Amino acid sequence: MLRFLLNRLLTAIPTLLIIATLAFALLHATPGGPFDSAKRMPPAIQASIEARYHLDEPLWRQYARYLGDLAHGDLGPSFQYRDTSVNSLIRQGLPVDATIGVCALLLALLAGGASGILAALHRNGARDHALMFVASLGISLPTFVIGPLLILVFAVQLHWLPSGDWVAGSIGHLILPVVALALPYTAYIARMVRGAAIEVFASPFIRTARAKGLPRHTVILRHALRPILTPLVSFLGPAFAGVLTGSIVIESVFGLPGIGRYFVTGAVNRDYTLVVGITILYGVLIIAFNLLADLCYAWLDPRVRLHS
Amino acid sequence: MLLHPCVKRLPALGAVLLASCGGGTSPTPVAASIQVGHALAAEQTLTRGLDAMPRSLDPTLVTDTDGQKVTDDLFEGLTAIGPDDNVVPGVASSWEVSADGRTWVFHLRPEARWSNGEPVLAGDFVYAWRREVDPKTGAENAQALSPILNASAIATGQAPVDSLGVTAVDDHTLRVTLVSPTPYLLAVLADSYLQPLPRATVERYGDSWSRPEHMVSNGPYVLGELIVGDRITLTRNPRYWGAATVRVSRVTYYPLNRNAQVSRFMAGDVEFTSIFPSSQIHWLRSQLGNQVVTGTYLGVQMFGFNMVAPPFAHNRNLRLALTMAVDRRIIADKITQGVSKPAYCVVPPLPGYTPQLPQWASWSDDRRHAEARRLYAAAGYSAAHPLHVQLDYPSDEDNRDLLTAIAAMWRINLGAQVEPYDEEFRVLLQDLRLQKATLFWASWIGDYPDPFTFLQLGQKDYAQNFGLINDPRFESLLAAAGNEPDNARRYRYLEQAEDRLNEEAYFVPLVYYATRHLVKPYIQGWRPNLQDRMATRYLQVLEHRGR
Repeated sequence: MLRFLLNRLLTAIPTLLIIATLAFALLHATPGGPFDSAKRMPPAIQASIEARYHLDEPLWRQYARYLGDLAHGDLGPSFQYRDTSVNSLIRQGLPVDATIGVCALLLALLAGGASGILAALHRNGARDHALMFVASLGISLPTFVIGPLLILVFAVQLHWLPSGDWVAGSIGHLILPVVALALPYTAYIARMVRGAAIEVFASPFIRTARAKGLPRHTVILRHALRPILTPLVSFLGPAFAGVLTGSIVIESVFGLPGIGRYFVTGAVNRDYTLVVGITILYGVLIIAFNLLADLCYAWLDPRVRLHS
Repeated sequence: MLLHPCVKRLPALGAVLLASCGGGTSPTPVAASIQVGHALAAEQTLTRGLDAMPRSLDPTLVTDTDGQKVTDDLFEGLTAIGPDDNVVPGVASSWEVSADGRTWVFHLRPEARWSNGEPVLAGDFVYAWRREVDPKTGAENAQALSPILNASAIATGQAPVDSLGVTAVDDHTLRVTLVSPTPYLLAVLADSYLQPLPRATVERYGDSWSRPEHMVSNGPYVLGELIVGDRITLTRNPRYWGAATVRVSRVTYYPLNRNAQVSRFMAGDVEFTSIFPSSQIHWLRSQLGNQVVTGTYLGVQMFGFNMVAPPFAHNRNLRLALTMAVDRRIIADKITQGVSKPAYCVVPPLPGYTPQLPQWASWSDDRRHAEARRLYAAAGYSAAHPLHVQLDYPSDEDNRDLLTAIAAMWRINLGAQVEPYDEEFRVLLQDLRLQKATLFWASWIGDYPDPFTFLQLGQKDYAQNFGLINDPRFESLLAAAGNEPDNARRYRYLEQAEDRLNEEAYFVPLVYYATRHLVKPYIQGWRPNLQDRMATRYLQVLEHRGR
């Protein structure tokens, strides 16, 4: 177990290095620089700006400098916001994404899990068909359609909820983005749980439990739930990384200050350090959650053994 | 400035949905739900939209219109822009100008204070202006100070910073020495890059002085909160010398894309948008009535030519043929939905200045097309040998329709094969810098309300002369205007210079930009203006019910 962990952590380092190198190289190879401005500057000023961000140095030295800073956990200054560092932007943005992401996944798990089990219990019945139709809709409707629709109904027409903005601690501001983000995951989880539940309900140990005369809810909660949830775990790890990294559209629609939005404006404005920094962060998150999923998987299903 | 097409807008479909669903489900206009009274509202707070997050709120470093809007609230220069786009006294209560128009003396009001209580002194201006031109600062706007003596030499590293033509005669008297008479100086003095700086704070905190925890400002508002990508909140500065006339106590700016601004406005969460998508104008008017406010903007949409490479160098006939073959009325009426006015010359209408329309501007379409075809043929092109050229423009949903329409006009009216090529704004800027573009987007927002900010685009050594225009006659007319202290006579030289631009067809002007705002009916004290400046200090909120 410990060897497995150590091994996975050690292989993460070269993976991250490759991610950082590729991101750095690709961004610097993109045409248009961070200081290609509509106002062209005299050479002395251009040189002064470039020197400030070490853009006057050869690329390999810029790269070495970047890696050196990275080793100390410093992602460098933002090129587009001169009074802000990439670290402070991430510190500001990540809690927003984490809050929305955790809430969305919890909602997806609860709603998706419940409707999946319900559908399985009424397999091929009207309720099953209705739930699965809604689930298909949830999967196929992109968030940039759902988001504005929610705003239109709940903010513009009904004035029940705010149309966007981020106010720390305000639940009202959370609801629409969380629902919009959770919908496709809910739908996906519902379909997955339904499949798993049908399989589990048909297995001999459930039949045994029922034969013992246990009430239905005990059978479901005590005996069936754990095996039903097992396949979800391998989905949840990447899904959590996915809600964190994939909320870019949600952030744009609702005007939230998350890192996804910084990522997009950073790319448009050639904010090298910001984009590379967020790419590395996304890499770390995906590696970490995959590892976590593997660990949970082993814990939930004793047949799985962790090998290094 | 070359117009940035704004940050890439993700939820384009969202707007379409909003447009179609809104129209279907709500037969009654949203505007009807707002009732406005006559008295001032008890709570004077305001929410405003911005096209994008300003890159900096340090006046020296502000380069975007969004940053200018916020610094208009936070800082005050020697002058300020009034509610009607007019110049009003700012920190300077009065001024005198020498007969030759080259020396100005400004008298600073002794009651002007920084938000920390310190007096605003002449030295704060000297410090700010020197910092702006000092190459060490790396300010993108340094060139804008070129009317001031030695500014250009300092910015290019050829003169010491303290040789800049600005002196603090005493704490409340500032003397400014200019290279040549600059009648538009008073308007420029209101711009962010000429606002004063709190020297002690800047020196103490370095780059982070403009963060909310450190910033000291001298305008009607102070910086309360700044969350990158979300909002900027300003609160009234009680130490501002004119604080008694400032009504709105708190203003929050939200940087949002156009579609998000519309939905926030309709939800009542943003009360004054900076823009809306032009494609939605009919629907918005039907829903919001007179909350949709448009006006002429100090900017022109146009194309430029590479003047040092074929096919446009030494080919006046071809340039003229292209510009004459564009049907501007169709663009103004159909593409901009009547919001923008057709442009036949580069300078938008300005008080006192007579725009120089080329003769063909008043011709019938048939006559104009025939002449364009004749010039096209004279330039050596025909159906068998058509012009093939790429037209580089920045990606933007509003631009795409325009470019497609113009390419079609050139194909139908001349037979020319012009291929619009959509690029990221930064890629286009790089292509222009490297002179890789032949025919390109050259739209321009004036930096100050004077024809010179547009005509300068054709000046030989001007950094933004992307097409490398070099016309001695045009140069001599600009030089004559530059040396003329009398503004009426100066305008006559500039008119001749513009005439020359038309004659040589160095640009293809298309339409003048329009300002497009959504404004709640209970916000008073503002009307559309040419520079699209609207400091919060002039606004007030009336009693209202609904949103």
